[in-house]
This record gives sequence, structure tokens and C-alpha cells, in this order.
Amino acid sequence: MPTDSEGRRRIVYCVGEERSLRDVLPESEAAALLAAASRAGLRGVRVVDPGGMALWGSGDPGPPPGEGDPRRLILLEGEPAGSVVLSAGASRGETQDALLALLADTLTAIAHTNLKRMLTTETHTEVVNRSYEELLETNRSLSASEQRYRELAGTLEVKVRERTEELTRAMAQLVQQEKMASVGQLAAGVAHEINNPLAFVTSNLRTLKKYTERFLDIIARYQRVFEHGGVAQQDRDDLRKHRESLRLDAISADAGDLLRQTLEGTERVRKIVADLKGFSHIDEEGEAPADLNREIDRTLSVMTHEIPAGAAIVREFSPLPVIPCRPGAFNQLFLGLLRNAFQARQEGLRVTIRTGVSGDRIRIAIADNGPGVPADLRTRIFEPFFTTRDVGKGKGLGLTVAYDIVTAHGGTIIVEDTPGGGATFVLQLPIRRGDHDKIR
Amino acid sequence: MIEYDSEEQRMILKFVYYGPALSGKTTNLLRLHDLLAKEGRGDLMVLDTKDDRTIFFDLLPFFLVAPSGLKIKVKVYTVPGQVQHDATRKAVLQRADGVAYIADSRRSEAKNNAESFGNLERNLSIVGIDIDKLPLVIQYNKRDLPGILPEEEIRKAWGPTGFPVILSSALEGWGVVETFRTLAERAYDALDRRHDFAGTHGLTRESFAGRLVRRTG
Ligand SMILES: Nc1nc2c(ncn2[C@@H]2O[C@H](COP(=O)(O)OP(=O)(O)O)[C@@H](O)[C@H]2O)c(=O)[nH]1
Ligand SMILES: [Mg+2]
Repeated sequence: MPTDSEGRRRIVYCVGEERSLRDVLPESEAAALLAAASRAGLRGVRVVDPGGMALWGSGDPGPPPGEGDPRRLILLEGEPAGSVVLSAGASRGETQDALLALLADTLTAIAHTNLKRMLTTETHTEVVNRSYEELLETNRSLSASEQRYRELAGTLEVKVRERTEELTRAMAQLVQQEKMASVGQLAAGVAHEINNPLAFVTSNLRTLKKYTERFLDIIARYQRVFEHGGVAQQDRDDLRKHRESLRLDAISADAGDLLRQTLEGTERVRKIVADLKGFSHIDEEGEAPADLNREIDRTLSVMTHEIPAGAAIVREFSPLPVIPCRPGAFNQLFLGLLRNAFQARQEGLRVTIRTGVSGDRIRIAIADNGPGVPADLRTRIFEPFFTTRDVGKGKGLGLTVAYDIVTAHGGTIIVEDTPGGGATFVLQLPIRRGDHDKIR
Repeated sequence: MIEYDSEEQRMILKFVYYGPALSGKTTNLLRLHDLLAKEGRGDLMVLDTKDDRTIFFDLLPFFLVAPSGLKIKVKVYTVPGQVQHDATRKAVLQRADGVAYIADSRRSEAKNNAESFGNLERNLSIVGIDIDKLPLVIQYNKRDLPGILPEEEIRKAWGPTGFPVILSSALEGWGVVETFRTLAERAYDALDRRHDFAGTHGLTRESFAGRLVRRTG
């Protein structure tokens, strides 16, 4: 199929094919007419082409027609396409002349009619065929575009799946954040509730300590007075016996320790409550400058009960630059990673937290000596609800949340092998972030 | 040009009367058939079927011989104007040597005219004919009717294109021969450039157009 200057396929079809007298005058029709003419008295008549070659004759014997023989033209589309001619020696006259003219006109008319029929058929066939070809061509290009759309639909499916996963993850993270927020609020509320009685308990204890010191002081004075006479021996003995039975000496020695320890206890409660508030960052909204070393410590302090007995927690902290971030989010992140590490093994657990700066990034590695993460699962563990642990134990969201928080901060998180066995989660966070990376 | 057989000394040319349905294309050929001498032309072939709208097309053939002996057949076709006959239009338009675009002068037909001319432009590009190189004549027909576009408006619209514009009433028989002659002359110029009609074949513009437009009587 020919193409145009721009390489497009062009449909080429054209009607009006040139035809000769033979094409438009079938011998059957011409011969019958010539025979009839012959019977009517036009003997020795022939049809010749423009070159003078005889095409058909009436079947009568006679010499071939010559130059001077009477003839009439047969016209095809105005062009002389042949003639009817009487051969030399044939009988001539007015009748023959009239018959010759009639024969020529009849053959011209038959040729015209046949040509018209052929042209009609030709056009019809041509148009139908070419329309069919055009249809085929259209069909071809449609199939091609259909193929393209199918491929597109295929990738679309993948895209949709990816987006759905992303959405599921975002949704899950939202749920988790919501949960953390309400936990944080609860913690902050509880902390507030505890703070009030704790404050007066502490204050009262301090007062009580002072009072006790005064009681003991006066008791000691009374005792000295008793010891140095002025009181009947009998009374002295009774008092000494009673003092001994009350074990007042031991109690006096103990009371100070007791109160001091109790105050230490309330101080610890106060600190825990403060940490709880700090961890939840309930008072802060949006980004704030944070020292991640301090945040890790805060997280550790609220997780003490989750640390398995006998576990060794090694803090290898290097000073970190303060970076703007959502500390609450980062504490969630550390909580998730530390919890993961604490669950890595029951006995002989050793968790090493190493922080430092490498180039323009903060690097935080949390290494455990558990079973580690098989290579083929290393990307999957960040997927929502993916967990290698028994159902019910790991929520399967901690690492996803960690991944999302780190990514939102323009950082990366990967898992590696701990030398000697175990998993090491490595966070890398840019110290400076571009504006477009600002957390939403 | 459709065919040129240098050995046989034959050339077949194709002129096409294009335009919207019922603008008077067939009437143009009927009038030419009546007005021009029988000598050098064939009979009008009207290939229509059901109604008076041309289903296929009309054909009026002309025949002339140049002084060099070159036989030239000129086939003048009309195309069906109806939308559904676009395939036929393309087939007829293929390898055209000249086009007469027949518009209906009535204001009410302006939209049909524009659509049909747009169709002509599109089909010319489909069959690979450059409209800027094609001998093209514009005829505004049915000037005998009321409600027609005034001449100055037509001239203003077509002036910038450079195409000759001829006013006519095919029904009354005027402007028809002029259209055909103008088309023949324009086609001659294009053919002369390619085939050296004047030099090689001794065929002047005047004699070419004159042979085609031979009036009766
Ligand atoms: N009044 C008037 N009618 C015309 C003229 N030319 C054609 N017609 C009529 O318009 C109708 C369609 O004409 P026709 O030649 O068949 O149109 P075609 O479809 O372009 O071939 C016919 O009824 C013609 O008689 C004209 O110049 N004036
Ligand atoms: Mg018509």
C-alpha cells in the first residue's frame, strides 16, 4: 500500500478503467447483430478495429475490406473505437447504406450501455472492496490501539494495586497514629492525675520527715534527762523496758532511711510521669527541634518493663545535632524499633543502640542478637501487617510506621545483619531537609 | 493525470465536478452535453439509481487529437454529494487533473457548501493531491434563485484564495460553458508544464480549450 509524504498509509483506488471495443462489445452480441444485418441484405459486413484489423464478420465469404470501402464509425466515449465496413464486391445501395449506419449506431449504443454497466459494477466493486480494505485497516489500527490500551490497563492494575497498598499503609498508619495519640493523651491525663496527689504526698512526706526528726530529737533529750537522775529507778527501768520492747533505738535509726527512700520513690514516680508526658509530646504540635539521643532515652525510660530480664542494653551515643522533626512521631519510631529488638530473643538478649553523624546525615543503628531477618523478607517487613512473629504477638505495624515516618522525613531505613548474628535496623536522616520534604 | 501511454500516444485526463448534494453538478453536465457540439464528445452517462440524487456519478467524455497525433480523452465526472458516498467521492477524485467546485448560491446552503469544501480539502489530501497545485475553479450556481449571496460577498470570501469564481445558472444554461472552459485552461497550464503540450504536441492553450468547448450550431 502506498504511503504519503508523512508515511501514512494511503488508500488508492480509482475508477474509469480504459476499455477497448472488444471489452465492451462481447462477440456473442456483435455476431448476432451482424448475422441479422446479413439476413436483412447487408452481406459481407465486418467490424474492424481502428488499425483496420477485422474483429468480427457476418460469416459471409469475401475479400478483406480495403481503404475505399464504405464504413461507419463506432464511437466509444466520443473516440472512434472501430468501424463497420462493407467489403469490396458486396452489393451496395441506399438500403445497404442505411443498414450500415443503423448497425454502427446500434453497436455504439450497445457499447455505451455495456460501458455504463461495467463502470457501475466497477465503481461499486471498487468502492466496496476499498471500503472493506479501509475497514480492515481501521480494524488493524483499532486492534493495535486496543493492544496498547490493554497494556495500559495491565500497568494500570499494577498502579492501582500499588496505590491501594500505599493507601492501606497510610490508613493503617493513621489508625496507629490515632491510637498513639489517644494513648499519649491517656498517658498525659493519667500523668496529670498522678501528679496532683504525688505532689502533696511528696510535700507531706517531707513535712513528716521534719516532724519525725523533731520527735526523735525530743525523745533523745527526754532520755538523757531520765538517764542522769531525777527520776525514780523504778520508773527508769519501766521506761527502758518499754523502749526496748518498742525497739525505739532501731526505729529511730530506721525512720530517716525509710522516709528518705520513700521520697526517692516519689521522685522516681515523678520522673516516670514526666517522661510519659515528654514521650507523648502531648504539649507539642507540629515540628520542634529535637535531640534524638534524648528522645531515644525517653523512649527507653517508658519501656523498662518491656526489657527482658537479664538483657543488656548498650548505648553507644555520639552527640547529635538538633534537628527539626515531630518528636512524638520519632518516639513512636524508636518505640517500634526497640520493641522489635526486645522481642528478638528471650534470654541473653543484647541490644546495641549506636548513634552518630555520617556526612550530612544522622545515622542510628539498633542492633539485636536475635535470629535476624532473611534476605528475601528484608523489604517485605516494612509492608503493613507483615510479621514474622506468631499472630497476636507482633502487630505487624511497628515497622511500617517506622518506615513511613522515616520516609516522610526524607530518610531511609534498612535492615542488615548484625555481625555475629541478628538484625540491625539502620536509620539515616538528613540533617537538613528541603522545604518539600517538610513533614505534613 | 490518469494515464499517459507514450507508445500508444494516448493520454486520459480527469476533471471532477465536486460539491454538496443538489448544487447542480449533474445539471452542469447536462447543459454541457446540450450546448456543446456532438463532435469530439461522447454521450452523457448518468449512473444513478433510486432518486434524483446521484448515487454513483455522472460521466461526460471528450476526445481530441493533438497535431502531434497524441489522442487525448477528457473524462468529466461528477461526484455524489451525499455524506454517505464519501468512498465513491474519493475513488472519483483519485488522480484528478482538475476540479470544478459547484456551490449552491443560496444563503441557506452556506453551511452545506462549507462542509462540502472541507470534505474536498480532506479527500484531496487523502488521495495525495496538493490543493495548491490543483487546477480548481469555483462555480456559484443557481444565480436565478432568490435569497442568494451577493456577488461582492462571494468575491470577498474567495478573492484571497486566488481561485477563479464563476457565477452561473445551470438551469438557465449560463456560466456553465465558461466554468468548463476556465477549468480546461487551468488544467492545460498545469499539463503543459509537465508534458510540453505546446512544444512537443503542437497543442496550444487556445486549441485545447477550443476543441473541448465547441458550441453547437
Ligand atoms: N433554480 C435552479 N435550479 C437548479 C440549478 N441547477 C440545478 N438546479 C436544480 O437543482 C436540483 C439538483 O440538481 P442536480 O444537478 O441533480 O444536483 P447534483 O446533486 O449536484 O447533481 C435539480 O432539481 C435541478 O433542476 C440552477 O442554476 N437554478
Ligand atoms: Mg447529480
